[in-house]
Amino acid sequence: MGEQLPAKERRGAEASRCVEVALSGGAPWGFTLRGGREHKEPLLITKIEEGSKAAAMGKLQVGDEMVSINDVILTGYRQEAICLVKGSHRTLKIVVRRYRLNSPQKVRTCPFL
Amino acid sequence: MMSQMRSTRTSQVQSHTVSQVQSHTVSQVEDTVHYNHHNYESELEEYMMQEEDWDRDLLLDPAWEKQQRKTFTAWCNSHLRKAGTQIENIEDDFRNGLKLMLLLEVISGERLPKPDQGKMRFHKIANVNKALDYISSKGVKLVSIGAEEIVDGNLKMTLGMIWTIILRFAIHDISVEETSAKEGLLLWCQRKTAPYKNVNVQNFHTSWKDGLALCALIHRHRPDLIDYSKLQKDDALYNLNLALEVAEKELDIPKMLDAEDIVNTPKPDQRAIMTYVSCFYHAFAGAEQAEMAANRICKILAVNQDNEKAMGEYERLASELLQWIQRTIPWLENLSPEKTMQAMQQKLEDFRDYRRLHKPPKTQEKCQLEINFNTLQTKLRISNRPAFMPSEGKMVSDIAGAWQRLEHAEKGYEEWLLNELRRLERLDHLAEKFRQKALIYEVWSHGKDYMLKQKDYESASLTEVRALLRKHEAFESDLAAHQDRVEQIAAIAQELNELDYHNAVEINARCQKICDQWDNFGTLTQKRREALERAEKLQETIDQLFLEFAKRTTPFNNWMEGAMEDLQDMFIVHSIEEIQSLIAAHEQFKSTLPEADSERQAILGIVNEVQKITQTYSISSTESNPYTMISCKEISAKWDKMKQLIPQRNAALQEELVRQQSNERLRRQFASQANIIGPWIQRKMEEIAQSSIEISGTLEDQMNQLKQLEEVTINYKPNVDKLEGDHQLIQEALIFDNKHTNYTMEHIRVGWEMLLTTIARTINEIETQILTRDAKGITQQQMNEFRSSFSHFDRGEAEFARIMNLVDPNNTGLVSFQSFISFMTRETADTDTADQVVASFRILAGDKPYILVEELRRELPSEQAEYCIASMPPYRGPEAIPGALDYASFSTALYGESDL
Repeated sequence: MGEQLPAKERRGAEASRCVEVALSGGAPWGFTLRGGREHKEPLLITKIEEGSKAAAMGKLQVGDEMVSINDVILTGYRQEAICLVKGSHRTLKIVVRRYRLNSPQKVRTCPFL
Repeated sequence: MMSQMRSTRTSQVQSHTVSQVQSHTVSQVEDTVHYNHHNYESELEEYMMQEEDWDRDLLLDPAWEKQQRKTFTAWCNSHLRKAGTQIENIEDDFRNGLKLMLLLEVISGERLPKPDQGKMRFHKIANVNKALDYISSKGVKLVSIGAEEIVDGNLKMTLGMIWTIILRFAIHDISVEETSAKEGLLLWCQRKTAPYKNVNVQNFHTSWKDGLALCALIHRHRPDLIDYSKLQKDDALYNLNLALEVAEKELDIPKMLDAEDIVNTPKPDQRAIMTYVSCFYHAFAGAEQAEMAANRICKILAVNQDNEKAMGEYERLASELLQWIQRTIPWLENLSPEKTMQAMQQKLEDFRDYRRLHKPPKTQEKCQLEINFNTLQTKLRISNRPAFMPSEGKMVSDIAGAWQRLEHAEKGYEEWLLNELRRLERLDHLAEKFRQKALIYEVWSHGKDYMLKQKDYESASLTEVRALLRKHEAFESDLAAHQDRVEQIAAIAQELNELDYHNAVEINARCQKICDQWDNFGTLTQKRREALERAEKLQETIDQLFLEFAKRTTPFNNWMEGAMEDLQDMFIVHSIEEIQSLIAAHEQFKSTLPEADSERQAILGIVNEVQKITQTYSISSTESNPYTMISCKEISAKWDKMKQLIPQRNAALQEELVRQQSNERLRRQFASQANIIGPWIQRKMEEIAQSSIEISGTLEDQMNQLKQLEEVTINYKPNVDKLEGDHQLIQEALIFDNKHTNYTMEHIRVGWEMLLTTIARTINEIETQILTRDAKGITQQQMNEFRSSFSHFDRGEAEFARIMNLVDPNNTGLVSFQSFISFMTRETADTDTADQVVASFRILAGDKPYILVEELRRELPSEQAEYCIASMPPYRGPEAIPGALDYASFSTALYGESDL
């Protein structure tokens, strides 16, 4: 029987990359987490509040998966993530994994034309 | 000198006469000897009257005749001896008239007509006539004296004629105090013998008998000849002889009288006496007159001499003064400037000395000269002399003129002195000023030209060049500030030149040096500015090029990196379309290469240009481009690398294409199977669900049904296994999606598991229900109710999990009924969303953003409350107080969401 691959692994070896984001300014950061190991789901960012600190940073995107908070590698539980986030005071360092969608690869245009 | 003369003026007047006269001071006003045109007629009348007396006697008194003869002879001889001849016999020696004429000539000093040289009577007569004519031409009327008588030797006539001559030539001219002739002679005798008490001259006969008169006369004039005090009145003979002797010896008067005759004759011949006395008169008075004349002359001469001396003095003084002026004026006109103030001041001192010491005496001299001149002129005018005409060049006007020139020169000199002093002072001051300013300038300028010649900009960067430019600007304004100073220096030098500074050469040299240096500075500054600006331009150009390089390089570099990244990009494609689009993209990419290459060339071109510039202008090239870390080399290297990657990618893509194609096949394979199995499982699930919903039948019935289903399911397993096999292949091929089926292996697996577990669970449930029914006595109906409720809330696995988490937080696998009930109460309430939960809590919290433990305990059933208390995180928002709980995050967490 095939094991149920954790969500993470299901997406498996798709191309993904880690993005590091450093927010500052303090709560509320303006993003919403959903899922988590509690629900046997990946812990994702499902909403980014317009005008928030997270939005201003411009680096976080909806769909990003939480990897680590403040250099603490997450186990996957949302509660854990919540605690870590709430534990931050003025700065919040998030590492998220962003998966490349298998949309047709954009041709690199010559930016200098 | 004049004054000296005046003070020591003693005039020693020497009077010169034929006979020596004693010198004595002339105190009297000089007698004027004037020619008296006396009437001779009265004289002759008297004479003739005498003659008449005589005639009455018919004879000349023999005594008188004797006396006369002696006297007259002596008298004639006294004159004739001058002509070198004599007479012996008075009546004879005149007979031929020659000696007569001679006598007359001697007496008168005039020339008579030439005597006839002959011995004939008529010759003689002619000669005598010539004499007589001469006598009468002198104004004497010769009555009854004819030439014939004389030629004949008539004694009486001859004597008479001689007496006439004597009278006319010796006595007639006597003039004493306006008395003339006989009377004059008498007066003279009286005057002269007046001091002699024992002499009384009343006449020319008896008064002379005692001889004292004669002696007195002699003594009066020549006291050295006769010791008069010794003479006795009654010693007439002695006296007479003495007088005669002395007269002859000392006075050059021949003895014309015979002493005895006179003594013996009661009344001596007055004519003889007169004749003899007249000789005395002529000797003395003449001498006297001569003396007086001499005195007068002396006086006059003295005056003349005085005047002449004065004139001479004047001339001398004038000369001296003029010479002094002539010497002084050049000194005063010598306006040769001195070099130093001291020399000038010395000159001023000298001038002051001149004014104080040397000039005043000269002024006085001049004054004296004028006074002397005026005095002299006055004197001359008074004494009827012609005015004094000083010699050429020494006239008063000349002196005045010269003096004026002197004073003029003085004034000029003084002015000039002061001006010179002023000028020198100014010069000194200026020279000092010049030196100071020149020094200041020189100090400032030291080393500046060295600095200006620096070529430091050649190896300077843009900022350095700019800094140098700033510095240079500062220097330029410094220079401008000094322009003033240099101009001042030049102006001072100019003034020094105009004022004729003695050391102008040195000043000019220094000034010239400064000016030349200044001009040089100007040139150098300009040059440096130009050089700096040029360097700046070049650096700027280079900088611009660098900038452009950087601007273009960065995107190019990024592009290349991106391109390389893309070329090396690990692509994961899961479909043929994907790989094909990648291939297409790759091709498109390749088509952009030419443009990219030209860009690359352009960029390299920039670098070349920079190099060209640095080489051409020999400036140091800052190798490093400050705007970018990317070097040309890097670009080129990357380019090459990129070019290498292209074919690699090509190959990779092609490979992938092949793979994709095989994958597709696998997918289809899988899909076909999954599409069968999936629905089957679905159906079975539905069956279970159906049976759950249906509440008919007993629990045991349900149980059996389920057991049957279980078996079926188990029997179906091989299909699933086969699918697994396909799935494995797919997995091995790393295929992750399959559009040919909606069912993933996971689905199938999960479904299968779920099926199994659902079956098991449902069986278990039923068992539980059975147990519970058996344990708690719940009716079937209740059970059915809850089951329906439960199915109503069945939302699938995730929801299930959530709910499980709530009702069985500890994952014990056991759900207490109460918790379940509690959950239900919660769930059935209209709390569908997190927000509504939050709202509900807010109501409970009394609109606070947090809720308190007491409130929870108050509002909720204790278990729920405790659950909340245990689960809610502390509220840390605003207005937080200890014990505040965050219901909001709790609520969102319920829904699987957390807002952070």
